[in-house]
Amino acid sequence: MSLEVGLATLMLIVFVSGLFSSGTARRCAGMIAAAGLLVLIAASFLLPPAGPGAGGAFVDDGLARFAKRLFLVSTFIGVLASLSLAAEVFSRRATEYYLLMLSSLLGMMVLASARDLILLFVAFELMSVPLYVLSGFLKREPEAIEAALKFFLVGSVSSAVMAYGLSFVYGVAGTTSLPGVAKALGSEPPLLVFGLAAVLAGFGFKIAAFPFHMWVPDTYEAASTPFVAWLSVAPKAAGFVAIFRVYLEGVGDRATLWLPAAAGLAAVTIIGGNLMALPQQNVKRLLAYSGIAHIGYMLVGLAAVSASGTAMVLFYLVVYVFGNMGAFLVVEAVARSEGAEHLGAFRGLAQRSPLLALAMLLFLLSLGGIPFVAGFWAKLYVLWAAAQAGLYWLVLLGAILTVVALFYYLAIARRMYIEAPARPEPIRLHPTLALCVILCALGVVVLGVYPTPLVLAALRAAAPLF
Amino acid sequence: MTLALTALALPFLAFVLQALVPPLRRSGRGAAAVSIVCVGGSLAAAARLWLAPLGAPLVRRWEWIPADGGPLVTVGIYLDPTAQAMLVLVTLVAFLVQLYSLSYLREEPAPALGRYYTYQSLFAFSMLGLVLAPNFVEMFIFWELVGLCSYLLIGFWYERPAAARAAVKAFWTTRLGDVGFVIGIVLLWRATGTFDFEALFGLAEAGRLPAGLALTMFLIYLGAVGKSAQFPLHVWLPDAMEGPTPVSALIHAATMVAAGVFMVTRAFPLFAVVPEVLTIMAWVGAFTALLAATMACVENDIKRVLAYSTVSQLGYMMAAAGAAAPSAAFFHLLTHGVFKALLFLAAGAAIHAVGSSDIRQMGRLFGALPQTGIVFLIGTLALSGVWPFAGFFSKEAVLSAVWDGHLVGPFLMLALTALLTAAYMFRVVFVAFFGADRAGGHPHDAPPLMAIPLWVLGFLTVAIGVRVAVAGGETHHPRGWLTALSLGLAGAGIAVAFVTYQWRVISPAALARALRPFDWMARRRYGIDGAYAGIYRGIILGFAWLIGWIDRYVVDGLLNALSAGTLSAGDLLRRIQNGRAQDYVYGVACGLLALLVASQIWR
Repeated sequence: MSLEVGLATLMLIVFVSGLFSSGTARRCAGMIAAAGLLVLIAASFLLPPAGPGAGGAFVDDGLARFAKRLFLVSTFIGVLASLSLAAEVFSRRATEYYLLMLSSLLGMMVLASARDLILLFVAFELMSVPLYVLSGFLKREPEAIEAALKFFLVGSVSSAVMAYGLSFVYGVAGTTSLPGVAKALGSEPPLLVFGLAAVLAGFGFKIAAFPFHMWVPDTYEAASTPFVAWLSVAPKAAGFVAIFRVYLEGVGDRATLWLPAAAGLAAVTIIGGNLMALPQQNVKRLLAYSGIAHIGYMLVGLAAVSASGTAMVLFYLVVYVFGNMGAFLVVEAVARSEGAEHLGAFRGLAQRSPLLALAMLLFLLSLGGIPFVAGFWAKLYVLWAAAQAGLYWLVLLGAILTVVALFYYLAIARRMYIEAPARPEPIRLHPTLALCVILCALGVVVLGVYPTPLVLAALRAAAPLF
Repeated sequence: MTLALTALALPFLAFVLQALVPPLRRSGRGAAAVSIVCVGGSLAAAARLWLAPLGAPLVRRWEWIPADGGPLVTVGIYLDPTAQAMLVLVTLVAFLVQLYSLSYLREEPAPALGRYYTYQSLFAFSMLGLVLAPNFVEMFIFWELVGLCSYLLIGFWYERPAAARAAVKAFWTTRLGDVGFVIGIVLLWRATGTFDFEALFGLAEAGRLPAGLALTMFLIYLGAVGKSAQFPLHVWLPDAMEGPTPVSALIHAATMVAAGVFMVTRAFPLFAVVPEVLTIMAWVGAFTALLAATMACVENDIKRVLAYSTVSQLGYMMAAAGAAAPSAAFFHLLTHGVFKALLFLAAGAAIHAVGSSDIRQMGRLFGALPQTGIVFLIGTLALSGVWPFAGFFSKEAVLSAVWDGHLVGPFLMLALTALLTAAYMFRVVFVAFFGADRAGGHPHDAPPLMAIPLWVLGFLTVAIGVRVAVAGGETHHPRGWLTALSLGLAGAGIAVAFVTYQWRVISPAALARALRPFDWMARRRYGIDGAYAGIYRGIILGFAWLIGWIDRYVVDGLLNALSAGTLSAGDLLRRIQNGRAQDYVYGVACGLLALLVASQIWR
């Protein structure tokens, strides 16, 4: 639990720094947060795993550690990228902004360790509520308020559905501790099926599976892009870890109860996400839908119900952190220079800023799943795991829709590399934003050329669930 | 192990430097210096490695593509005496050729020279990687890389249409064999579950290889057919002479074309279990040797004569491998690598001096180019199989192996080839270096930078032969009648060339008339190139037209309908995103309902 305590301490430091500074000086809160996160990342590798705490409700196993590192790294990149936000509101209320990010991170960290349904639900809400506030952070802009309100409304409905479903699970099992639930399941009561489906719907909202995804494009479009880059990866990863806890650790022996629902969810999410991304002209919306499609591929790994499938979802999540955050951050850089987020803003980027265009190309290739960039291994491994589980129809579907995905990813690449630029001057990049883009590009390339250590780490993290 | 890695890494370093630092590449001579220093370092490492003979193969692997239940593919190094010798050959010839090129290509503009050395470095790295590969996947990757370098270097003067065409022809023809190779690799993996040589050899030794591998190994052999220019895929090699002469010496004589033979030698324990494939290999090899030798007899372009002779000698090696004597094949590969590189470089010096590669425009060059003449003569004697030059021993080893394999047909073809080899090579010597006509202009010997590599290779050609003659190699078991036969054949060939082209007792035209059908066919390359061109024009272009029609009207129509359908489906789906929060909540409700139904129905 020491990582969580460290994070809470960091939150207090950020809070106090806000009390003693005013105006634009509050900006230093972001730097404190970034530095603190670096320390926590180091600690997450150095600290030995601790035994279960809080009466077995809180565990610090391999899965939790893996997930926490992922959350910490992605939040670090998110905070670093947010430092480049220029609007006055981000410096005046910087303390709030970073404090909210950190408290949502705390929710994710606890969620990754929660082995009790109540703790899990509380952590889930701790993660979600700051996100609602953050998405409406630009409170003078009506679109942001509208998007935040939609996010909040749909989110609270989903939370209610999930709490309702959890109550059924409790009703059947008679306990809220996950190992207890696993033990108490005797027959297959219909009530449990209902409960599990409702819980999956609640999780489906958080990971933005079709048709629970509707908040995603609106929220992504209206909120500030560095925040969206983080929102598009970290909470989704947290959602998947929670799904693993409930569905594999809790009712993994009864996979037949929820497997059809999960496989069906995977299929419609892949189809829906990819098809809806096709007609988009706004790059942020396009990435929002493409992100939904990626969630579908990860659900394929879940539907494999195997150690390798789960490990490959973890691997996919890490790859997705770098590829998706990188792509969003390039969009931020271009949008800030051009004042527009539509596809046309990318025209001739390769001639204006060759390195930025190359980075974007790497991210797109990774998202599209081209060999020797990280995303290829992620897709390959997930589909492979599904094939081993005999889900050939899902593999076929996933493979076919990869082609559709390439169509819209390469549409961006074509604008960058083939079309002539509207203006000749290069795009000016804020230094911290540039650093984030470099970090993400490095991640995509290194994991593409040498994925072995991460794959093995993911396999180690996933093995105890089975 | 470190030495092998050093030898492999240095050319890669040179390539990366040249590829990523444009000013270095554009400087031309700077790039050349980096390249030569790096490959020289490789040569030193390889030579040091060679001085410490290995007992068992040294293998080192790193995991690359993990999978549950052990990594699917590893990368690493497989070092055995064969690889050691091959390392020395590749680095030595690469080093000498790069040195020679500096003078040979000195009139090229600096950026082109930089490009040339960038490709050369990539080639050296890829070829060394191929030699050291511990499994079929890594070997295939480097196999394709050397193919790519060959393509780039044949087409080095890409503004010449003939060079561009030859590059494409080489690429496509070898690719045809590679299709078989890659399918064979995958089939082998399906049958045995591994790509790794050590594991496969272990299975072969224990006799636990699954039965029915004949087709698999035949497909793998097809890769060697393409790369080592065996009949019927030999057509690309003569055309590959459009590249600069040093490239021909390095890639299309000494190293890359021998990769097929090397692969067969490397994987020989696997070929050994499929005697039917070996028999095919021996017959095809011997036939290739004879066919190419006859074509060499009527060719007037000195480089093309050498190219056909390379095809012919590769046939020799393959025949030896097919006779279950990979060591004889490999021995011939090594000696041939040295003396054929010598011949090409010497021919390059002659072409450089005369300004033409047609032997009829040369003549009496021996007087003008004494150094070039001597080394060319050394190379010719070695290739013709005259004692005590290197070629004599390796050729005898091949013939002896084929005889021991009871392959009478191939043996006869190879013996006839030996006669023809001596004849066509001495035809070149008499016409170009002695002869009656004098070349125009004032040709002079090559500058030192070109002469040194010639003398080094010439010395080695003699030294290897003398060493075997004195010490007796492990591959050399003299057999009286065979020695007499091969010397007799070489002598007869030389005599025929002498009386025809030097003494002119028999006029070449009369000889051609006497052997008219052969002459007629050989001049037309037995119609193979023509047939391919016909196939290409008639069948492939016709097929392409048909496919084009189907593609335009059927597939495109279908795809357009499909993509229009996909796009409109996307558009339709987008409508549900109408921006109203209550509809989003309906979405959640519908989704929950669907999940419930799904989990109730498919239990």
